[in-house]
Amino acid sequence: MKKFFPLLFTACLTLVFTWQCDTIEQPFSNGGSTDTTSQQQRNVLIEDFTGHRCKNCPKASKQIDTLIATFGENRIVGLAIHAGPNNFTAVTTDYPTDLTTQEGRDVQSFFGTNFLPCGMINREGWTSTGNTHIRTYQSWPTLSAEAMDSTLKVALSATAAITGGNLVVNTTATPLTNLLHDLDLVVLVKESGIVSPQLLPDNTKDADYIHKNVLRDYVTPITGVEIGTSPVLANSPLTHADTLAWNASWVQSNAKVVVYAFNPENNRILQVIQMEID
Amino acid sequence: MKKAIIAGTISLFSLPIFGQGQQTFGGQLHGNFQLDGQLYLRDENIDPSGEFYPDERFLGQGYANFIYSDGNFSSGLRYENYQNVMLGFPEGYRGEGITYRYLQFKQDGLDITVGNFYEQFGTGMVFRSYEERGLGYDNAMDGVRLKVSPVSGLNIKAVMGRQRFYFQKSPGVLRGLDAEYNLASELLPKLDSAGLRWTLGASFMSKYQRANDPFLNLPENVATAGARTQLSKGPFAFQAEFAYKANDPSADNGNIYKDGNGFLATLSYSKNGLGLIAGIKRIDNMSFRSDRNGSTIDMLVNYLSPTAQVHTYALPALYQYATQINGEEGVQLEANYKFKRKSLLGGKYGTLVSLNYSVIQSINKDFVNTNMDTLRVLQGYYSDPLIRGTIPYYHDWNFTVSKKINRRLKVNAMYINLFYNRSVLESGLGDESIQANPDDQQVMNGDIFILESLFKVKRKHYLRTEFQHLSTEGDRGSMAMALAEYSIAPHWFFSVQDIYNYGNADESQRLHYPLASVVYTAGTSRFQLSYGRQQRGIFCVGGVCRVVPPSNGISFSLTSSF
Repeated sequence: MKKFFPLLFTACLTLVFTWQCDTIEQPFSNGGSTDTTSQQQRNVLIEDFTGHRCKNCPKASKQIDTLIATFGENRIVGLAIHAGPNNFTAVTTDYPTDLTTQEGRDVQSFFGTNFLPCGMINREGWTSTGNTHIRTYQSWPTLSAEAMDSTLKVALSATAAITGGNLVVNTTATPLTNLLHDLDLVVLVKESGIVSPQLLPDNTKDADYIHKNVLRDYVTPITGVEIGTSPVLANSPLTHADTLAWNASWVQSNAKVVVYAFNPENNRILQVIQMEID
Repeated sequence: MKKAIIAGTISLFSLPIFGQGQQTFGGQLHGNFQLDGQLYLRDENIDPSGEFYPDERFLGQGYANFIYSDGNFSSGLRYENYQNVMLGFPEGYRGEGITYRYLQFKQDGLDITVGNFYEQFGTGMVFRSYEERGLGYDNAMDGVRLKVSPVSGLNIKAVMGRQRFYFQKSPGVLRGLDAEYNLASELLPKLDSAGLRWTLGASFMSKYQRANDPFLNLPENVATAGARTQLSKGPFAFQAEFAYKANDPSADNGNIYKDGNGFLATLSYSKNGLGLIAGIKRIDNMSFRSDRNGSTIDMLVNYLSPTAQVHTYALPALYQYATQINGEEGVQLEANYKFKRKSLLGGKYGTLVSLNYSVIQSINKDFVNTNMDTLRVLQGYYSDPLIRGTIPYYHDWNFTVSKKINRRLKVNAMYINLFYNRSVLESGLGDESIQANPDDQQVMNGDIFILESLFKVKRKHYLRTEFQHLSTEGDRGSMAMALAEYSIAPHWFFSVQDIYNYGNADESQRLHYPLASVVYTAGTSRFQLSYGRQQRGIFCVGGVCRVVPPSNGISFSLTSSF
């Protein structure tokens, strides 16, 4: 009997643990929740590391478009950060527009990404070791859905206007619960509708490709400004004002301001909003 | 059992104290250590924009393994540090920590491992957990492994756990089982007496990964299974494995729900100095990761062995083949024969000649029209295994002659004809894109000649030289290489080499890549210091590859074991 004990044990293991397989006949789901309002709900910032000579990068951009079409641009905030290896991002005769920024390169360097396309969803999963915060675009729908389902801890509201050649952004952050960590804020400008060549997945060039959500500049330092010191009490509004000299080459009607509040201990973005510029 | 736990606890906490000794508490303690580092120098010729030049001038990484064993018990751990990870290794290695630890004991016919372990089912098409430090590849399991042999000739393995993902774990949980039975044991003893060895095996692996995709109904449980056989009699040996994978939409396959399958078979013959091997492989959508969104070399559950020769010489190694996990088919034929001493072609010491041919191409793929949404996602493409694919990925046919000329001199001469589809193997262009624009493929087609010699200068003094030449108009163009190594056994080793990329179409890139090294060995410790340039390339082990960026600098490596 002792001889057969291991066999019996393993057979039980087999039945209990291994014989599992889901066969899918209808691949499309109903899209899940499509509540597009941003009030009192956690939104999603997708930081998409991209390059105009990266042939798979348009797939990532399309993924953001699909998510916005489903959940609305209040809930999904796309940000295309042109940064990464030069063979994907550098300017050439065929790709003459420099869409990179030093700030974008700094963000890329800090978060340790060197392959494109890839991105971060509210910077979930960041640790000082490892790479789990860098996610391929195929995972963005799942991670976005999960982030939108999570509890909102900070409500944000902001206004953005150009006054006397300067962009002025006024932000109010209201913690909805007591926070046992500092609260930091980042404000940045992005621009869509930029027509410039892009390499496509079939290795051809689209000379009239329309680039969306392109990071232009940070109004605050890229590491943010502290607006609340631990402990941050619930329902105590925190206000902050930022100013940036407006770059005349940016098309105001195509530009938006993105504001996000985050936990500086783990870089997790607690809430993000975007707005037109008055 | 209690004794085992006590011994394990003692071994884990006593390592720093007893690291120099081998006899510890009645058991054996052994281990090894490696430290690598490089001081990077700015070199505008090989990296004009400074893209690969790190912000930190010095990068270093290392590890140490400690293994304690006492009778039926063993335990071990590995510490790794990346401060910071060297160029070319995956960036996920950031920081330091104990990345591998385990306890193992054998009792009541069970071989039990808890913690980390490496394991393989069959050829690995269903499951292989392994480490390849040169690549920065490590998909170690963290969980439980059981091994039992309930009756003579039958070996069963059961595993459960999660795979390593740098300093974290993969999101998917793996549960698998493998059984292998040697028919020539108790069941059919006549086979054994007739000199026939015959084993049958079967494996099963299931992955569970939570799914919350708003657009797709993703399978949370994905299974793969395989069956295999091995036969040998006299000089003949045959082995084959077939694997099947259920629907597994992933980043690799573009989220299609098509089933996957793979087939691998080899037949070999070896007798009287003649060796023959013929292998065939076909894989279709067999990428299997413990995270459906994984990429590059992360969290691979299975291993798809390449049907191509792995070259160690520097110039052919620039164009190593990387297995295409989404689909490929290939054939490899290898023959070698040793002409006997004192024969016409054997001469005084004998002559070994080898011939290798391997060819790998795409599988037949008839893609579903992109307008047919559901079918496109469900099926992706149709593939007929009886129809050859149209996209050539790689071929290599080479001929080698190895001969000892006299008591002091040995020579190897080799010719290689290489075809390397850069669009597929470097740029990662998919079959559908290439089928649509077949004329846009970038390829490297070249001829390589290699002459290597080993000369015994005097007692304990050896001189090894290599001359290599690559003739091609593809990629970086033609190159020539010369190498000389002088070793004084058992301590010293000196090496200088230079690769000259004289045929580069870009005249500014017609560069020399010199490299000089000195190695000192004392007992089981070895220290190496090198200075020179390294050109960009692809470094592969067993069909798994990583990109190596160009660099210039001083590097060192220290290894030691006890």
